[in-house]
Amino acid sequence: MSAVKPRIHEAPDDLLAAIDWCYEQGWTDGLPVVPPAVERVKAMLAAETRPAETVIAHHPATGLDLSLHAAAANAVMAGCLPEYFPVIVAAFEAMDRTEFNFHGSTASTGGSAPLIIVSGPLADEIGMNSDVNLFGPGNRANGTIGRAVRLILRNVFQMLPGISDKSTQGNPGKYSFCIAERARGNPWPLLCEAHGYAKGTSSVTVFAGGGFANVENHGGNKPEEILISVADTMANYGCITLGQSVVILAPEHMKIVADAGWSREKVQDFLFATARRSVEGMKGAGKYRDREYDAQHGEGASALAVAGFMHRGLRPDDILVTMGGGDAGGHSCFIPSWSRGRSSIMQHNAIAAPPAGAKQ
Amino acid sequence: MQLYSPMSTTPKRKAFRAPPLAGLDGLRIGILENGKLNADEMLREVAQLFVERHGCTVRTVASKKNASAPAPAPTLVQLAQEVDFLITGLGD
Repeated sequence: MSAVKPRIHEAPDDLLAAIDWCYEQGWTDGLPVVPPAVERVKAMLAAETRPAETVIAHHPATGLDLSLHAAAANAVMAGCLPEYFPVIVAAFEAMDRTEFNFHGSTASTGGSAPLIIVSGPLADEIGMNSDVNLFGPGNRANGTIGRAVRLILRNVFQMLPGISDKSTQGNPGKYSFCIAERARGNPWPLLCEAHGYAKGTSSVTVFAGGGFANVENHGGNKPEEILISVADTMANYGCITLGQSVVILAPEHMKIVADAGWSREKVQDFLFATARRSVEGMKGAGKYRDREYDAQHGEGASALAVAGFMHRGLRPDDILVTMGGGDAGGHSCFIPSWSRGRSSIMQHNAIAAPPAGAKQ
Repeated sequence: MQLYSPMSTTPKRKAFRAPPLAGLDGLRIGILENGKLNADEMLREVAQLFVERHGCTVRTVASKKNASAPAPAPTLVQLAQEVDFLITGLGD
């Protein structure tokens, strides 16, 4: 089905009145938006080489498509600069893969939000924050890229709270949930390198995140002491599922781990082995469902249950681990997957370099 | 001030309701369960009411591996060929 031409609305010339007019159209996340003026949308599109009508994502339940043009209009509304646009495009191309299941993860009572992790040199080039107050406010790129993702889900895909977005409680990341991986002082290969992208290529990882759990440990001085705190958070009865995980180690914690020679893979192995609950314990909490092991997740899951334990995830590499945050403080975090299982699998994608001459 | 719409440019799909069944007696039932706890049990209970009251038969029970994703097209095509009406719903 061919797309219709993007519609142009006549809004009040007064900026404040235009902002109010956008509210009246139902285009906002509750906060004021930058009115998507024609010239601003065109400037956003200049950060892309493909035609504006190019479809970059498709909603399987409603049949609605996301074009570059609609993505650009929402990016303007979120407050993005054009140089942020390739991140948004790459993120939606990744979310468009069947395995991510962005319909389910945004419609579900689970209330997840797409976490966007930018890795590589582009993060610094566009001024993203990977440092102090990583998940907090104050950085335009982090804040507005994440917000653009939400506005696209709302305005393009019509994931409207109470109608098609049935989140029981939602989570604050549904306003914006976007960070950069910290490169400075990171002892491990960056995610873009670990994922095999060419040198100099930045990447975005998307993950349907079910919330945010702080992991405090100021007394531990060995990797095991730090990581057992992380694993315990991952395996609490409220969080443990077969789903994937994101763990962002604070620089203080990373130093303890890396100074002892632990690689990313060794940390993943430790966390997977330690973040577990017994089947009996799961039954006691009313959370053990044998069908999840057999019917939905195959023999690998079933074998774990037969061995007597339910782990967080199915394999060590289900746990994404990297570093982020400020230098001071023993505060890492764990971000659980959406809801109870593996209905959404995290994806990554290269971020295309903007065309020569695009506004930087 | 001229503003671009931030909505999708996909034309609205034309959706039609299936024509109502003329009757229920003796019809073939399909069940599509979503894989969540109790879905299978609940839907079979509902189907049993049609069996008892209208002499229907349960022909096909299909399962979704992913509760939150649309049913695969081949599943729907097969069900459409084998049954007269389908019972589906959310278990949890």
